[in-house]
Amino acid sequence: MNRLKRWAGQVVVLGLLSGLSVAGVAVDLPPLSHSLTKLTPKPAPALMLNDMKGVAHDLSQLKGRVVLINFWATWCPPCRREMPSMERLTQQLKGEAFSVLAVNVGESVNDIELFTSQLDADLSFPILLDRSSQSMQAWKISGLPTTYLVDKKGRVVAGAIGGREFDHPDVVRAIRTVLKQ
Amino acid sequence: MRLLTLTLLALWGTTLSAAEPDVDPDTGLRSWQTDQAGIQVRLTQISSDQARAFYLARGFSAAATERYVAECVFMTVVRNIGDTPIQHRMADWRYVMSGLSPQTIRSKTGWDQIWKKLGEKESARIAFTWAQFPTTQIFAPGDWNQGMTTYNVPRDQPFNLKFVWRADGKTHTGLIEDVRCSNE
Repeated sequence: MNRLKRWAGQVVVLGLLSGLSVAGVAVDLPPLSHSLTKLTPKPAPALMLNDMKGVAHDLSQLKGRVVLINFWATWCPPCRREMPSMERLTQQLKGEAFSVLAVNVGESVNDIELFTSQLDADLSFPILLDRSSQSMQAWKISGLPTTYLVDKKGRVVAGAIGGREFDHPDVVRAIRTVLKQ
Repeated sequence: MRLLTLTLLALWGTTLSAAEPDVDPDTGLRSWQTDQAGIQVRLTQISSDQARAFYLARGFSAAATERYVAECVFMTVVRNIGDTPIQHRMADWRYVMSGLSPQTIRSKTGWDQIWKKLGEKESARIAFTWAQFPTTQIFAPGDWNQGMTTYNVPRDQPFNLKFVWRADGKTHTGLIEDVRCSNE
């Protein structure tokens, strides 16, 4: 019952905070962008976290792959809105040397599952748990959502602050360019 | 004459924005938005009940939640709509009520000191930190962010928000006028 109450409260509040009316009608939502900003390549900070099943993930083990790292939380409206597009991107680049890691800040597995269970599609990429937000500090992140693209050499080469439509052709093109390098 | 000169000087370099707010037909909540010189700033009222529900769900105590909603809360969106990077620093922003001196927006750190005194849980404090509008950020073209900002003003008292950003090595200012808190 408590869980149901919390869920109902979150739906109403998140809707309102993201510009939705109580009735669920979209009222002037801030649009999601579709650009990745090229950055001067720098070695990526360490990222070693467990996913929701307790499996450890280490970014340094993904050298040779291009990795999209998304920092997010369920209570962050643009984070919620962009999440399905990350799954569509993952499907679009299936079979290529590309991975997505979604780093959740400070929430429990229950809270995250409550959100992911409402999505139309299952998420095929791992959601990593950063309960103390330590990785956010290591990555010098100021706000959510923030996303970085790491190349095959383990360097941060692009970034995005704020919600994105990750399967937009502009974003896919930018990632494919990095995949070819 | 001197007063007029001072007034003109004070307004110099500040772009005024006294547009009528948008009103959400369902909730009645109002939004003020200005687009100018490569930046878009939008303030949307958050009612006390909404803020209360949000922070209680994050694990805040009732006492802390009431402390927070005693101030006016706005969802704040800043977006780079230009073609060069912009940087904002919340510490430079000011809000002004008629006849009073400009006030700074309470920082995340300022709020966190209050939460520590009230003994709030770390998990709630982490969520709070990330839910507020970032203290400072550099936005590339297309970047944007949203978060809450608070204003210590009476609910029936309008105020002006002067926002400041840097672009192309210059400091710019803009103004959103006659902003009002939600009714409750």
